[in-house]
Amino acid sequence: MFDAVAKNISYLLGGYWITVKLTLFALAGGISLGILVGLGRISKKKWVYYPVTFYVNLIRNIPLILVIFWFYFVMPIIVGRPMDPFPSAVISFIIFEATYFGEILRAGYQSVSKGQIDAGYSTGLTYVQTTRYILIPIALRRMLPSMITQSIVTYQDTCLAFVIGLPEFVRRTTIVDNIEVRSIQLFGFVAILFLITCYISSVVSRRFEVKRERGY
Amino acid sequence: MIEIRDLSKWYGDFQVLDNINEEIKEGQTVVVCGPSGSGKSTLLRCINGLEPFQKGEVIVDGVSVSDRSTNLYKLRTEIGMVFQRFELYPHMTALQNITLAPMKVRNKSKKDAEAKAMELLQRVGIPEKAHAYPANLSGGQQQRVAIARSLAMEPKILMFDEPTSALDPEMIKEVLDVMIDLSKGGMTMIVVTHEMGFAREVADEVIFMDEGRIIERGTDVSFFKNPKNPRTKDFLDKILL
Repeated sequence: MFDAVAKNISYLLGGYWITVKLTLFALAGGISLGILVGLGRISKKKWVYYPVTFYVNLIRNIPLILVIFWFYFVMPIIVGRPMDPFPSAVISFIIFEATYFGEILRAGYQSVSKGQIDAGYSTGLTYVQTTRYILIPIALRRMLPSMITQSIVTYQDTCLAFVIGLPEFVRRTTIVDNIEVRSIQLFGFVAILFLITCYISSVVSRRFEVKRERGY
Repeated sequence: MIEIRDLSKWYGDFQVLDNINEEIKEGQTVVVCGPSGSGKSTLLRCINGLEPFQKGEVIVDGVSVSDRSTNLYKLRTEIGMVFQRFELYPHMTALQNITLAPMKVRNKSKKDAEAKAMELLQRVGIPEKAHAYPANLSGGQQQRVAIARSLAMEPKILMFDEPTSALDPEMIKEVLDVMIDLSKGGMTMIVVTHEMGFAREVADEVIFMDEGRIIERGTDVSFFKNPKNPRTKDFLDKILL
């Protein structure tokens, strides 16, 4: 019953591998940039706060698919030569996800008691040290469930990179479907693979939540 | 050791500190008491530069806190602070809470920092809790870890901001015992507290604050016996029962 899948399995899994790679790059970049975006959003320095807030509001009010689309078509005009779909998709995702992770982390930073920050300062730690060893670790741990949820969303959203011709999982499935004409079987396979991987992630996420209730 | 001259501070239009003058000599223990909102905590936070102030001067160990050229981070290594709500770092064990600053600020090796931390945990009476997380410690134990954390930087001054107010009665004594021990050991201390038993035993001076002003001061016993200000008398009657 999965004959069309079996016949094209290496091509399809090759696409899945691109999806996984895109997800990993998007998350690594999005979370790293998001840590800074979140710090910018709680900054008391106006020249930090306002530009960062503008960036967050701008990107969060544009559909992801348009961010991917625009970046791919505008970059060649700026840099003077066309960009490969993969790096273009990675950068678009980082720009987009950083705003969401940034907002999650802003909430996390704000949940850290000011007293714990003061305790750091009162032992002589600098702003950077206090942020690095106290603020960020506590916020990340506390926000872990939301971060995992957002990561799962990112993973699912990578399909949108098909608009710029990136041969990821869904796009390759479409290509195979055009030849084999077995839509239900092929897209059923895609759905099952996403279902299983996302479910496992959410189970992991829930375990962290339970742990959090126990600890802090 | 600490000199406070004409210190005033406002939050907007509201004056929190009004012309505070005080001198604390090395090895002295000064107890600050007064109703809530009288500016006690703010006073402590001005001394280690956690709060800026608009008028006056605070000089700690010869260094002016408000001077722009003063490195506040360096100054704070000399002034330990213990908070009402302990404020331990929840993601670190007791040992890690204590060793963080010595390792990052003083660049001590992990081994040296941990040896010193164990010595301090011994001193506050809970060496067996070295690897416990704050969530698994009682309030009294957390506060003792917090005191050890301050001591790890080997400060010249220790400030306590209502260190026993968030504790259950049976835990207050274990924390006070550590503080009495420190005071008798010659540490310079400023303690915001309403534990008058503690004040009687170790305070070289007791200050009573109200509405941002020091309205009464006395050397230990005289303060309790015959307060001059009716406001002080009223307050003492309430807390001494």
